[in-house]
This record gives sequence, structure tokens and C-alpha cells, in this order.
Amino acid sequence: MVNKNEKLVFDVIVVGAGLAGSAAAVTAARGGLNVVMVERGVAPGSKNYFGGALYTHSLLDIYPDFFDRKPPLERPVTETGFWFLSKDGMVRMTVQGGKINNNPIDAYVAQRAKFDAWWAEQARKEGVFLIPKTVVVDFIRENGKVVGVMTDRAQGEIYAPVVIVCEGVNNLLTQKLGLIKHDFKGNATALAVKQLISLPAETINTRLGLRSSDEGLAISVVGDVSMGLPGLGFLYTGKDSLSLGVGVTLDALSAAQIKPYELLQRYLNHPMIAPLIAGGQLMEYGAHLIPEGGWSTMPQLYTDGVMVAGDAASMVNAMHWEGTNMAITAGKAAGETAVEAHKKGDFSANTLSAYRKRLENTFVLKDLHQYRNMSRFLHNHPEFMDVYPNFLNDALGMFFTGFGKPKKQLYSDILKSLTSRRPLLKAVGDMVAFGRTVMGI
Amino acid sequence: MATKTIDRSDLPEVYIDDILMSLKYFADEHEAHLKIIDPQVCIACQGKPCLNFCPVGAYKAQEGGTVQIAYQACVECGTCRVMCPPKNVFWKLPRGGYGVSYKFG
Repeated sequence: MVNKNEKLVFDVIVVGAGLAGSAAAVTAARGGLNVVMVERGVAPGSKNYFGGALYTHSLLDIYPDFFDRKPPLERPVTETGFWFLSKDGMVRMTVQGGKINNNPIDAYVAQRAKFDAWWAEQARKEGVFLIPKTVVVDFIRENGKVVGVMTDRAQGEIYAPVVIVCEGVNNLLTQKLGLIKHDFKGNATALAVKQLISLPAETINTRLGLRSSDEGLAISVVGDVSMGLPGLGFLYTGKDSLSLGVGVTLDALSAAQIKPYELLQRYLNHPMIAPLIAGGQLMEYGAHLIPEGGWSTMPQLYTDGVMVAGDAASMVNAMHWEGTNMAITAGKAAGETAVEAHKKGDFSANTLSAYRKRLENTFVLKDLHQYRNMSRFLHNHPEFMDVYPNFLNDALGMFFTGFGKPKKQLYSDILKSLTSRRPLLKAVGDMVAFGRTVMGI
Repeated sequence: MATKTIDRSDLPEVYIDDILMSLKYFADEHEAHLKIIDPQVCIACQGKPCLNFCPVGAYKAQEGGTVQIAYQACVECGTCRVMCPPKNVFWKLPRGGYGVSYKFG
């Protein structure tokens, strides 16, 4: 939209065409606003990376006919849970059927480059104007208020009274606004690396006990995968690919002087994992930061003329692998608030504070608040990545083997396999602390 | 975090360049989006953790104790910006359309 002064003017600028951005943009467009979405990649999704699975509730919230639109999804998640790895063994604790067998299924495995391009295309169909291959480098301010953005294109100024920043984890614009006082820190940020490995669908089904390609896994892998560092591994099933990765807190990774791709290869070499991917071909490697600090690293969510959503606002619940759903819900709330602000003709922080109020009534801020101490807790309790997964493997291994030992000896051995790693009182303390931190009790 | 010894005996050696063949880039040959601010600072840096933590191995030790960045291999994760101990990395996003371009993501 070019006005009489040859300026590019819109009602709303959305920075970043990821999950939050496209949700914000389409919501604002539905409210009758002229929306431009600026994306730095060649196409939406080309810079985006995750494990991973998307949560159906958030997708349906934007598009009630989501499944009729033929979204590019891999497999529904029909089995999910933990695999606890010891050095050479594994305890599987997963759930299938029952509550997992919802209609619709609660989560779907996806690939972000494909999905986000499609997600942005849905927004474009409702009138959102997309400018790809363009980096927003700064804001334009008049009388101290944000009135637009500067891009890295020649004559790249774009004007709008409200900007929704969905720039992702490297939130340099959010920092520029002073919404957060410092760059994020290594103790509240994880680096995740992943290999996507191609295998025939039938091979995946056979190896993972899936009855068809309409069944899939989302697994959190705990224990040996992170070499005792605070972190987790994962495994997701695509149609004809497996996604395996590991994420570790930056501070711990750096201090341990371990190369992330060697940590990942070690996971892939694990005797319980290697047979699953044998014969597979590497399709794509990648790496991404995860703002695991959540509540503790969250910037101020709004100021005059600006709202921040998604990874840029630390909207991640690392314990439950949630983040994509928070981004979508927050994007929608920001879009709704932009529509409201235009109706009032007032884009002050006071008006935009409605964005935060909306989020306070959703799982986004409720959960982030409840888990506010989680990343610090795991940082201070590496036992959960090491002692307990190993104990679980030993305990179940002993319980289900005979060796002709009296059972009294068996239980004494099981107890010893715990206490040799962690004094009993400390172990009890760990569990109480874990319960308090997770459940907020 | 409690310090403890890490058993590295089964940590495999990986040639990251082979793995990076799986990635698609639109390399900006005219402008480096990552730069070492002051090479002297790298010489003085004891641990040089960048040589390990970069997930694409873009940081390479040079003779004389300096460090060079193969910025073309960067996947724009941000680890170096956060973790360089003396904050000696100039870090910005590649120009629009340049840099890594995930096919699957």
C-alpha cells in the first residue's frame, strides 16, 4: 500500500513469517487490517527448525477447517513418552491408545520448511502481503514512538502504527527496543542439533512397531544421550524419515568442550538407536537455539506500538516440548490486540497491554509461570539426566532377570544401585524438589 | 552445576564438512555477517570454546592463536554470540535471502 508521499504504509507490520507471525498476520487481516509480513528467508520456513511435532489445538484455533486444507504433515503422534537410555540399554515408558487416541489426534509430526511455507500461504489467501528475502534491521521512531521498520532493502522503510515482532530466538530487535535488558544467557538457552534421516516407511513401521504410516512416535530421550549434561534427546517419525536430535544447555555444552555434532553422532551410535536408523541416508542436518528460560528470560511483551510473540518472547516450555502452540496462541492474541487498537485509534503501551492480559488467561502465561524455575532446576540437578535413567535401567533389568538369586538379595541390590549413585535422602529430596518445580506446588 | 568427569571414550570423531553437504545455502560472497572483532582478543582467549561449541564447526584455529570464521557454513543459530567468553564476535543476520535455507527444517 503506497500512500501519496510514496511511502509504504500498512495498518500492521509483522516481523517474521513463522508460526507466530502468520497467526498474528491472518488474525489482523480478518479484523479488516492491511497487513504486511516481512520474512528474511527465501520463503517462510527456510530459517526455521524444530524436532518436532505441532499441537492440533493451536492449529484448529486459527483454521477450524485445518485438516480440510491438506496441510503438509508427516504422521500423527499415536505413541509418545520417554525412552530412558543407559550406556547400553533402554527403558521405554510410552503411552498409546486411550487419551492419546483422540479425534483429532493431539499432535502431528511436521517439517518446518514445508509447514511454515504452507502456514504463511494460508495467511496470504486472506489478504496478508508477504515480503520475503528481507531483513528488518531496526525500527523507525517518531517522537520516541515506533511508527515503522527499516529493512535491508534500498528505500526499505515500511510504516505502520503497530509492529508485531515474531523474529525468533535471536531477538535482536526486541533487545533494541529495550524490552529485555541484555542478550540471553547460556544457562537459560539450549542448543539443539538434529539429523533428519530417510528410510522407507515400511522399514520405520517395522522397526518401531507401528501398524501403518498413519501411526507415529514423539519420544523424549533421557539419560546417556546427553552424557550427563542438562539436556534431552528426541526421536520423531516422519512419513519416510526419522528425526533424531539432542539439545543441551549452552553453558554446560561449552564447559564440557563437546562438539554438538559429535554428541549427536554418539546418540545415533547408541546400541539401542543405531539399529533403528541402519541403512538410512542423512537428508538434512541443522541446529537451533531454544529459549528454555521461559518466564525467567521473557522480555516485556509490549511497548508503544510494538508487541512481541513466540521464541522472541521466550515462549517455550522445555519440559513438555511446547513452544509452537504458545507461538500460535500468542500470535493470535497479538493480532486481536492490533485490531482492537485500530478500532480505538490508540497504539500506546496502555492499549497494547491487552495483549498480555489475553495471554494471562491462556495456558501460555499460566504454564510459563508454573514452570518458571524449571530450567534452573535441571541445571542444578543433573542427576535427572544421569543417575535416575541409569538407576531405572538397572532396577528394571534386575527385577526381570533371575540369576537364581533370592528376591531379598534382588531388592537389596536394586536399592544399592540407587544409593551407590545418590544417597537415599538426597534422592528423596530430588523427587520432592522435582515435584515442587514441575507442578508448582 | 556439580562438576564431574565426563567419559569421552565413546565420543566419535565426526567430519562436519561431510554432514554440511546435506544443507542448502545461499552464500553471500560479498558480505560476511560474522566477524572476529579483534584478533588479539582471540589470541589471549584461553579456552577458545568456539572451536567446540559451534554446531557447524565454522570456527577454525589459525597459526598464531587467532580464529577464523567460515561464515558461509553458519546456520544462524546464535550460539557464538551468546557463548564467546570475551564477546569478540560481531554477529548479525545475513542479508535477506542469503544464508542457510532449510529444505525440511
